[in-house]
Amino acid sequence: MRAIKAGVIVLILSFLACNNPTENIKLVIDTDIIKYTAMIQVTDAQTGSQAPGNASIAVVSSNAADVYEISGKKDIKLVQGMVTIGLHPNTVPTTPITVTVEVAAPGYVTQRKNIIFNTEVKQQIVAIGISKIGNTAPPIVTPPPLTYQEVSLNFTGRCPNRADVEIRPSVYVSFRKNGSTEGFKYLGYMDKGNISTNLLALGETYNFQIVYGGESYTVTQKIEQTSYNLSIDMTAACNF
Amino acid sequence: MKLLAVALSLLLPPVISSAQNNADTVAKRPMAMQLNVGTQGIGLAFNYEVINHLSFRAGINAIPLKANDVFKISGVNSTSNVSANFYNIHFLADYTPFENQEWFRLVGGLAYFLKAEGNARIIPSDDYKYGDLTLTEEQIGYVDLTVDWKGLAPYIGIGLLRNFPKNKFNVNLDFGTYYLTKPDADIVGTGILSGNSSQSEQLRDNIKNYRWLPILQVNFNYKF
Repeated sequence: MRAIKAGVIVLILSFLACNNPTENIKLVIDTDIIKYTAMIQVTDAQTGSQAPGNASIAVVSSNAADVYEISGKKDIKLVQGMVTIGLHPNTVPTTPITVTVEVAAPGYVTQRKNIIFNTEVKQQIVAIGISKIGNTAPPIVTPPPLTYQEVSLNFTGRCPNRADVEIRPSVYVSFRKNGSTEGFKYLGYMDKGNISTNLLALGETYNFQIVYGGESYTVTQKIEQTSYNLSIDMTAACNF
Repeated sequence: MKLLAVALSLLLPPVISSAQNNADTVAKRPMAMQLNVGTQGIGLAFNYEVINHLSFRAGINAIPLKANDVFKISGVNSTSNVSANFYNIHFLADYTPFENQEWFRLVGGLAYFLKAEGNARIIPSDDYKYGDLTLTEEQIGYVDLTVDWKGLAPYIGIGLLRNFPKNKFNVNLDFGTYYLTKPDADIVGTGILSGNSSQSEQLRDNIKNYRWLPILQVNFNYKF
């Protein structure tokens, strides 16, 4: 009986048409599992350049078990001085939760920083400047970035091993001018693949970077109009 | 003149019938109730011969069907709940073109589909890991695909076996097709699948030619 019912449905829904109804339809996966996040950007306090490649970060507060990298991994590591951490998806900080991270790098003074999660702020940027041992110079003050007209970027994450899957990333995005030797600067939080920003100048070419799952993914785009659809590989989001 | 007679007989069948009884000069036109079963579900129709070789049917049909696990997404282990709900009122003309071949009819007409929906809910069935986290069913979510053909649809087909019983009962067949309105389609997702609504446009494009609803139907007729 079940087979007959299924057959009738298939017959009705097939309607003598030849093409496959699911052709070119992709499975879209969101990454906004971890709702309360903080992007940590570690720099050399005196130069403002990105932290040395061998800098490490650890969650040292007693609630460390509740803290994950934004990809859901327990392994939290800096990539080009950046990492995004967040609370377990079932943890809602109705009373503020303080997480302490410790950044260490050979030749630098180890530094601790408290990050406070609460329900008012789902995303936050935490800058940590580390100083070389014995360096007493004051920290460099980075001027605020220049602003331009609003530009909308729509990112789609690709899975190199799954052409039928698309990732709709909810992550922090950094940027720098193409060819620049400076470190990446924070651009904004991309919500379900979309970010609007006024930090991009018309006519300039930029590298955009996502740090996710311990990997860095970049894409380059020249800005000549007010909206772009960009594809970016996100292999670390494809392991399901 | 013939057309006028048809129109009058449609509008005033009881009157004509009465006149016929009174005059008793013209044979009474057959009429029958029809119970049908087929790909448009189960239905009822009233069948009336308005002139020789031409009869009209007016009726309703309904097909509420559900089935599980007939739809899969490649690469994702999932369960699916599929349903089809088609409800129509129809008006058909049966024409017997050959005097001595009463077993064969040409059939044409119109239906209005009050509801003509296909739905599929696809639910991933595995435990899904996000990094080191195991997602709950609610966090994973599901995907609903809905296709809607509601509206007017012309019908063309053939009928086999006698239209009206010689005595009280008979069985005959219909083979044909409705040409449905261009379908509307939507994909709605929840949880980590909520972004799949972006695929609605592609689904609409894929099924824009899914408009032929084949009809294979057995009719059980009672003449009165």
